[in-house]
Order: sequence, then C-alpha cells, then structure tokens
Amino acid sequence: MNLLPSKYRFVPVVLMLLAAVSVFTPVVDDPGLQQTFAVAFLFAALALTYDLLLGFTGLLSFGHSLFYAAGAYGAAYAMARWEWQIIPATIFALFFATAIALFTGATALRVKGIAFAMVTLAFAEAGHVIATLNLWGLSNGDITLQLRPESVPEFFLGVNNTRNLFLLSLITLAIIYLAVWWLTQSSVGRVWQALRENEERVSVLGLRPFSFKLIAFVLAGVMAAFVGVVAVIVTNNANPSMGSTGTTISLLLMVILGGIATRWGAVIGGVLYVVLSQRLTTLNTEGALSSFPEWIGGPMSEPAFILGVIFILVVMFSPGGIAGALYRLKMKFGSSVK
Amino acid sequence: MNLEVTQEKALELSDVHVTIRGSHILQGVNFGIEPGVVTGLLGRNGVGKSTTLRSIVGLVPRVGSIKLFGKEISNLKAHEVIRSGVSFVPEDREIFSTLTVLENLKLAERDKQPNYDIVYNLFPELLKRKNQRAGTLSGGQQQMVAIARALLNNSNLLLVDEPTKGLAPRLVTEVADALEVAAKSATILLVEQNLPLVKRIAKNIIVMDQGVVVHSGSPMDLENADFAQRMLGVSGGSH
Amino acid sequence: MEIFITLFITGVGLGALYFLVAAGLSLIYGLMDVLNFAHGAFLTAGAYATWYFTTYVRADGSLTSYAISLLIAGLVGALFAVATEQILIKYLYNRHIDQALVTVGLGFVAASAYLGWFGTDPLVVLPPVDLYNVVQIGDAFVGLDRFLYIGVAAIVLLANFLMLRYTRIGLIIRAGVENRNMVTALGIDVRKAFTFVFFIGGFAAGLGGALATTYASGVGPTLGDSFLIYAFITVVIGGMGSVPGTAIAAVLVGTTQVLVNYYVQGLGDFVVVLLLALVLLVRPQGLLGKVVR
Repeated sequence: MNLLPSKYRFVPVVLMLLAAVSVFTPVVDDPGLQQTFAVAFLFAALALTYDLLLGFTGLLSFGHSLFYAAGAYGAAYAMARWEWQIIPATIFALFFATAIALFTGATALRVKGIAFAMVTLAFAEAGHVIATLNLWGLSNGDITLQLRPESVPEFFLGVNNTRNLFLLSLITLAIIYLAVWWLTQSSVGRVWQALRENEERVSVLGLRPFSFKLIAFVLAGVMAAFVGVVAVIVTNNANPSMGSTGTTISLLLMVILGGIATRWGAVIGGVLYVVLSQRLTTLNTEGALSSFPEWIGGPMSEPAFILGVIFILVVMFSPGGIAGALYRLKMKFGSSVK
Repeated sequence: MNLEVTQEKALELSDVHVTIRGSHILQGVNFGIEPGVVTGLLGRNGVGKSTTLRSIVGLVPRVGSIKLFGKEISNLKAHEVIRSGVSFVPEDREIFSTLTVLENLKLAERDKQPNYDIVYNLFPELLKRKNQRAGTLSGGQQQMVAIARALLNNSNLLLVDEPTKGLAPRLVTEVADALEVAAKSATILLVEQNLPLVKRIAKNIIVMDQGVVVHSGSPMDLENADFAQRMLGVSGGSH
Repeated sequence: MEIFITLFITGVGLGALYFLVAAGLSLIYGLMDVLNFAHGAFLTAGAYATWYFTTYVRADGSLTSYAISLLIAGLVGALFAVATEQILIKYLYNRHIDQALVTVGLGFVAASAYLGWFGTDPLVVLPPVDLYNVVQIGDAFVGLDRFLYIGVAAIVLLANFLMLRYTRIGLIIRAGVENRNMVTALGIDVRKAFTFVFFIGGFAAGLGGALATTYASGVGPTLGDSFLIYAFITVVIGGMGSVPGTAIAAVLVGTTQVLVNYYVQGLGDFVVVLLLALVLLVRPQGLLGKVVR
C-alpha cells in the first residue's frame, strides 16, 4: 500500500470491497437479504452526502431529506406522468433538486447555527407536507408515486432481479463515496473544513463563506437526489416518508454512530443502522425478547429504541462514533500493530 | 525576586495556560500581587491581559495554579471564585441591557447587606436612573453600573478590565475616584491603557507580551520613554 | 362570518397548545442555547399520564378528575424534563451541538418506548362531557374546549410573566438569556436556573399534552412530535428566549394554520412554513427575540 501516494490509498480498499462483494453476492442468494443490503447501501450513500454537510462543512441541516425526496419524486413523476425513460428522468430530477437546493440553501444560509437548522427543517417540512397531502396533485399522497416499469430496463424489475438492484445500490454507494472523497480532498473541500473550524479565518483570507457553504449545500443536495432516484428503482416508488424529518434524523444518527467527518464512518453507520433495524425486528418476531419483563421488552422490540440509546451513549461518551473508537484503539495499540 | 518577599500575596498565578479554539493565548503566566494596593496590568492589545482576568475568574478553561490569599482557586467554577470574594468588572461593561439599573445591581448582590450607600454616593446618577433600562444609558453611565456591581459587595480582590475605555475625560476622573475609594478596602488588579491613570493610582505594574509576563515593577518605570515604547508601543512616557 | 369566528377561535386554541410547548422551548434555548428536540416527548408523557389517570385511576369523567389529570400531566412532564437535564444535558455543558443531538436521541428513544408500551394506535382519552358543549358567539358556535386551552395558556403566560418579573430566579433567567457568562461572573450558579427552566418548560409541555389529548381525541406515540415542529416554528418566529414573543407567534401560527387550511384546502401547514422563512429573512432574531446565534 505504501507504494501508492497517500492520495490514492483508497483505490485498493475500493477494489478489495468490490472483489469481496462479487465473490460474496452469489452466495447471498436470498432476495430478502439482498433487498435489505440494497436499502442499507442507499442509506449509507445518503449518510455520506449528509456527512459532507455536517462533518466536513459543519452545517447542521435538518432538511436533507428534502433533496432525497426531490430526487425520488422528480424522477418518479417524470417517468409516471410524462412517460420519460430513466436517463432523462434522472437528469430532470437532478436539475429539479439543484434548483430547490439553490433556492433553499441561499435562503437558509442567511442565518447560522441553530437558526439554519430550523429554516432547513421548515423547508423540508414544507416539502413533506406537499408530498403527504398531495398538493396540486403532484405526489399521489400516501398511495405513493409508483415506478413506471416501462421506463427502466427489464433487469431491474421483479424479485428475480433483486441481485441487480443490490449491485446497483452498491455501485451508487461507490460513486457517492468517490465523489465525496474527491470533493473533500479538493481545494474547495479544504475551505469547507476550514469553515467548520473557524469561519472568520476563512473570511480573512478573502473567501466568501456563504458561497462555499452554498456549494456544499447544493452538491450534497444533488447527490442526495441522485440516491433518491436510485431508491425509486430499488423500492419501486417515491413516498412521503422519504421527505420526513424522521429521515433526516436517522441520517444524523447514522453519521454520528459511525463517526463524523470520516467518510467510511457514515458508510458503516448507514449500513449498520438499516441492517440492525431490520434484524432487530426479526429477532423480536422470533420471540427472542419474550424472556424480558414487558416494561422493558416492549421498547426493546423497537429497533429505534436500541439505536437511540446507543446514539445517546455515543454522543455522551464516544464523540467520534465507531470510527473514533477504532481510531483510539489503533492509537492505543498502534505501536505494536504498525 | 529577593528573599524578603515572604508576605502572603493577594493573588498568585503560576504557569497559567489558556487555549481557546486552538489558540494558545496564555503561555505560562506568572505573577503575584501585593494585598491592599492597586496593581496595573499593562501591555499592547491582544497580549492576553483580558484573558488573564477571565482565567482568574474562571470564565475560560485554564491550566496552572491560581492562588487567592494562599487558597487554590483554579479548580473552582466561576461563580465559586466570585463567591470567595472576587469582583469582576469586565471589558466592555457587559451590563444587562434589558434589565433596569436597579435590577442589574440586585443581581450582583452577594453580601447579606449590600452596600448601596457607597454606590449611590459615588454615582448619584444611578440613583436617579435606577428604574431606567440599562441599555438606554450612555457609555459612561453603563460603566458606572458595571463598577457599582462590583462595589456593592465587600471583596478582597477586584478585577477591573479597562474601565476608562471610550470614556470622556471628565468620566475618566470619576472612574478613577471610584477606584481609589474601592482601593481603600480591596486589592485591585487593573487592566488599563490610560497611563496617567495607572501612574495616579497603581503602586505596582505588571507588563505582558505575547501571553507571558515580561516585566514587573513600579509605575515609575513608565517615565522612561524608551521602556514605554518598547513594552507598550506608546510613544513618550508621561507627557 | 360565523365560520370565520369559529375557525379563528379554534386557531387561537391551537395556538394556545403551541404556546404551552413553545414557551419552555424558548426559555430553554434563550437561557442555555439548547434546542430541545425531546420537548415533544415531555408532551407525550403528559398525554399518556392523562390517559392513564382518566382511564384507570379516576374514570368518572368529572371535571375534577380532569383538572387533577392536568396537574399530574404537568408534573410528569416536569419530572421527565428535570431528569433529562440532570442526567443528560448537564454533562454536556457548553457542548451545544452535542446537547441538541442528545435530545434528538432522547426524542427518538422516547417515541419508540411509547410505541413499545402503548402500541401504534392512538389511545382514546375521553374528556368530561361538559367540554363538548358549544358556546354561541353571535351566530357562531365554538367548542368549549377551545376556551379551556386558551385559558390554561393564559394562566401559564401570566405565571411566567410574574415569575420572570418579580422573583430572583426570574431575574437570573432574564439576565442569563442576555449574557449567561456574566451571570456566573456575578457569583450566581446559573445551572440552578437551567434546572428550573427545564422544570417549568416540562410542566407547560405536560399540560399541553393533557390538553392535546382532548384536541386530538387521544394520544399516540408521536403526538408530541407533531406538535414539536410547529412549536419550533412558533419559537423561531416569536424570537428565542422571549415568552411574550412566543405567545404572539403561537396565536399567529395557530390561526394562520387553521384559517388557511379551511379556505385553501390543506395549504395551512405549508403557509406556516413559508411564514417562518419570511420572518427569518426579514428579522432573523424573530419578532421579539435576542439575536439567534
């Protein structure tokens, strides 16, 4: 590994990951499990885009779900109502999300800190309301906006092709990972990280913090929208809960659990979150919790309960999340492992 | 330092460090001040004078030893430091602008019988305006409130940060008078840029530069123009 | 016109509920810079307390039982809030983002605990039949319960005002909202005020929860969260840390939401959000608040 300049250290990791997956996939021949992991990878990608804001730029947004939903609905709408094919629908969705991100970002970034969080929350809630109430007939409300099968290639359709969806999600995750990696290593990325540490110093250098934050906001939004488009293919619909504050909060949980501003922390957090949510539910239905008294067994049967408790513990005792804990372990035993 | 200094110091800082958001502002501050007198803390802007006062109070996280009449206070929280008999007049006054003058004073009450007489004698203006919102006062009047808050209680140490900053000459005299009255009952550590004022009321001076103490001596040292220029960046000692 | 009056008073009643949640949020944020995402959980706790009390302890449906249940709900909310401050918030002193995150986590945990204990479906809470009476104003008919919300909120507002204006802890809170550090620099342990604002904030939220069971005819695990978002909006519009500002904003938000929802089908929630964006852009500190940092 040392043969590579440090800039390219990620390449072998990604290659190894892809190799592992291609060996691994045929073994996991259970569509249910494939579907779980497909969703897990998408949330990991989404968490990465959120970490770009929260971890790398220091922007606490409570409205990130808006762009995920905008991408999903943009693509689903173009396909369902205008009968577009997936590629033009994707392009449309990305432009649609960019426009929203530019508008909401330019507005919200006029205020800082908690106020910024509140304005983004409000914008997302507005989007969520539109989707839930089916305002102007845009969203189909709770019936959800279904994926139009004719608009996507056949190998993405049907239970038999779940494996392809799994791969699609994995590739999406890889693309987002590379994009976030590249962005955070770029000179713009360095300005973002400087902004996170100390905004005044950045302005002293003659750079306009507002512009750089807006760039981060829009890019994170567009990438989230892209994940949203893929989510329509993977889950077959765009639904209002995609745009809910709950979605953003779970992204927050994933990033903090995994480890903020580490990139792979968000990936681990995202995958763990989704897989744990689903596995813990299974555990419950199998009756593993029946030995507990009801007052504790009740909440324990809710994956969110356990994840939430872990989250609180991480915030209080292990600020770096899983990645931070591993890093500390590595520091502790670093000399012997090398 | 010679050996005859055995008298207990009112305040003694040993190797005090303060780091705020990655900036190492105090880099091992050492000094002691004599009880019962005014000590001037001088230095150019940004060398850490205000931070030194704030570290004594406990308003910034600090490392090192701070002793108040022999008792270690660096492990105390800010309100506990104040309660052990320290009063603090911060830079820029920091009065509560939405509260009335009287409410500002009430909030500062620590003693069972706060001494309103001394305050109203020194600043009759405040009695007249006691129900006025402090935010609507002039800068000088706000400074009076800030000093009054400190004089209301019996303190054994008074920390005063640039009390004459931005004040008209007439008010500077008034502030100086007030400090002299206060000096009768308390030890004072005074950060001040106004050298004539320092020379008038301070018995000792301490000069800081870049986060450490670089000189301690008497206000007479300031008569030396070269010294003043070198230490404080001001031209001409006294004239 | 009759419909307008009915809707307007309903809107003020809804605003009263928002106020009960938002008043505590506003004081907590104003004093401590903690954005409390667990506040909805305090409300829900109060609501479940009301359900339990009026279902199992005193199910006679009398006004007295209802009044007692309000008080109990307030206390449950207050205890929950104080426990939150003492167990979680206190140890993250001056780590404001972490404090907010911990309350996010707690809200998340509480909602799933409620789900595990009480199930997804809302539990029906039956208020005393008298509350179903209507009051005639001109030609308009308004449910009596609306006036109850408004009355309770008015009492809380008044109590808040008296506390802030005439007590020492009130003085400390007002000063702390303006400059927390300087309060400690006067020798005051401001953390006692922190615990106190959590207590009163939790109490008001618990009361709000009890009343919300009447407004929503029951309680489900996410009752509090649905109020929380609009309470946030109320707080920001009113100005963080200003109780009078919160009261004005609560009425504004409640009436706007109800009226617009009626006249322009379903658009009320959307308009409220736009209202927030507008206020923040024109006046980032809110109607009567300190500057939001």
